[in-house]
Amino acid sequence: MISQLDRDLSELQQAAGAYAARHQLIPDFGYPPEVQIAVNFTLDFDSMLLRRLLNEPPMQLAKGEFGGRVGIWRLIELFDAHRVKATIFTPGRACELYPQALRAAVKSGHEIADHMWEHRVPKDASLEEDHLAKTVSAIEQISGRRPVGTRSGHSAALLRKYGYVYRSEGSADQRPHYVVDESGESCLVHLPFHYVIDDAMFFNFAWLGSENAAQRITDPERVFDIWWAAFRQQYREGGYLNICMHPFVSGRALRVAMLDRLITQMKTLPGVWFPSCEEVARWCLERFPPRAQAA
Amino acid sequence: MPWKERYTISDEKSLADDEIRWPQGARCCVSVTVDLSVAAGPEGIRAADLTTSEAEFGANQGLSALLAVLQRYDLKATFAVPAVLAHIHADRIRALVAQGHEIAAHGFKHEDVSTLERDDERERIARATEILAEVTGRRPEGWFSLPRQGDPFAGGTISPNTMDLLIEASYAYMGNGLADDIPHYWVTDFATRRAILTLPYYYHFDDQFFLMFPRKGTGLEHTDALFRNWKAELDAQYKRGRHFHMTLHPQHVGWCNRLQLLEDFLAHLRGFPGLWNPTGAECARYWLETYPASAYLRLEPSIWRDYPGSLS
Repeated sequence: MISQLDRDLSELQQAAGAYAARHQLIPDFGYPPEVQIAVNFTLDFDSMLLRRLLNEPPMQLAKGEFGGRVGIWRLIELFDAHRVKATIFTPGRACELYPQALRAAVKSGHEIADHMWEHRVPKDASLEEDHLAKTVSAIEQISGRRPVGTRSGHSAALLRKYGYVYRSEGSADQRPHYVVDESGESCLVHLPFHYVIDDAMFFNFAWLGSENAAQRITDPERVFDIWWAAFRQQYREGGYLNICMHPFVSGRALRVAMLDRLITQMKTLPGVWFPSCEEVARWCLERFPPRAQAA
Repeated sequence: MPWKERYTISDEKSLADDEIRWPQGARCCVSVTVDLSVAAGPEGIRAADLTTSEAEFGANQGLSALLAVLQRYDLKATFAVPAVLAHIHADRIRALVAQGHEIAAHGFKHEDVSTLERDDERERIARATEILAEVTGRRPEGWFSLPRQGDPFAGGTISPNTMDLLIEASYAYMGNGLADDIPHYWVTDFATRRAILTLPYYYHFDDQFFLMFPRKGTGLEHTDALFRNWKAELDAQYKRGRHFHMTLHPQHVGWCNRLQLLEDFLAHLRGFPGLWNPTGAECARYWLETYPASAYLRLEPSIWRDYPGSLS
């Protein structure tokens, strides 16, 4: 007789095994000879959309609006000054709210990628596809190119169908890697993202429903130290860093100044590459193509 | 959905750094708001909030100490005063006016108005205005709705009607907005361009979120983070030629180690030549004259659309 404990053992082992099998790491990951690390600066351009989606009060919306009126412009200016190619994960509807800023980003050569239509993935499959198609079309209209990357939980099959090649979410490995879906198909490059390298975790009051006693109101110097330590560790390893920012958070003057210092300090080391996410994904696909998956 | 209503409150892009000029060639605007409210939560000031040793300190020694520091550094502040406190401390409020500070309204009792009926809110605004006018001898020009330590969001609470009612009540400015870091127009009607000037506020420069936050006894003291935020923002805004703003509470910043922190910061601030330190009303007057909405509010025709299956 199989006991409940044995059933637990086998169920949990199976769950862990199936999840692990969806990940294909790149143990020999590396860069061209002159590159030691790739640093992706990624902007989640939610502005007030997520606040509106969560039905937050008017002052919260105004706080988000700072990202579109002010923050995004300053960050584009900062990246241009440093010749950094950033990736802007844009909710499709932000193209209707802030077309000028996004056109300016495109003109500077930054990548416009997908961050859902209105910062949610509908449960209904046909509405999900409708949202994704709308985003693809909105981004194509603004940038002249269809997006190839996303920061979202959209289904991998749907993303592949629309020509996406990468997703920037999750932290299964510190370096870029591949993930397939539950059916073993629809392989996407994953560019890892970790909350410790996310500005909102340090600066954004009431983020993700956090209680007042757990508030995120630290100062830029402390965050500089944490991010610099992360960069140094990955630099030594020949690794990868994805810095996630929100224009309504990092576009504040005191934080733009901190980022300016951070990029300047990174550039004092040889071999620091500041590509768009798409460039990193293309490099992976070309140099370390995924092994064929069993169907 | 007309315009981008319930999404944006103003035009698409802020003024660029090089479009901003301050009076007499000043490099940067520095404004100080002193919040005299002792409200803990959305119900506004209760008897229990007034009968604490902290409230007593804030209204007496804390306030005097803060005023002495402001005077030493030759700074003028705008005091956001709930009408009930103006009524209770009328003499002290008049003394602030005599020292050149501005008295602005901060609700009837700094209550959350977000779910009030329009008429009820209008009546509260009228009564608060009347009380402040009686105490100070003139109508307040500015209105504040600053956050309380116990609020779930740190932006201050307003209703969908507040801004429109403030325009109706002839207020020259709203004292705390988060959509920009310079004065900006909060539009209440796209078609007529009806708007009220809004002054910048950000909780990272507000003492109450760093000093024994979220409440005495269980909160944490982060004076170092507060100091570094003030300093980093001032340095950056000075370089850009924009606006630095800070919000202070006498019951918090008036206490010994915090008072020293404020002194240290103001000593740093004094090292910058070409700062302009207006009250809220002076800043609003300058802005309305130099950057009138008729010429500087650049509302774009909206491309915002309604779609089935999407937020409207």
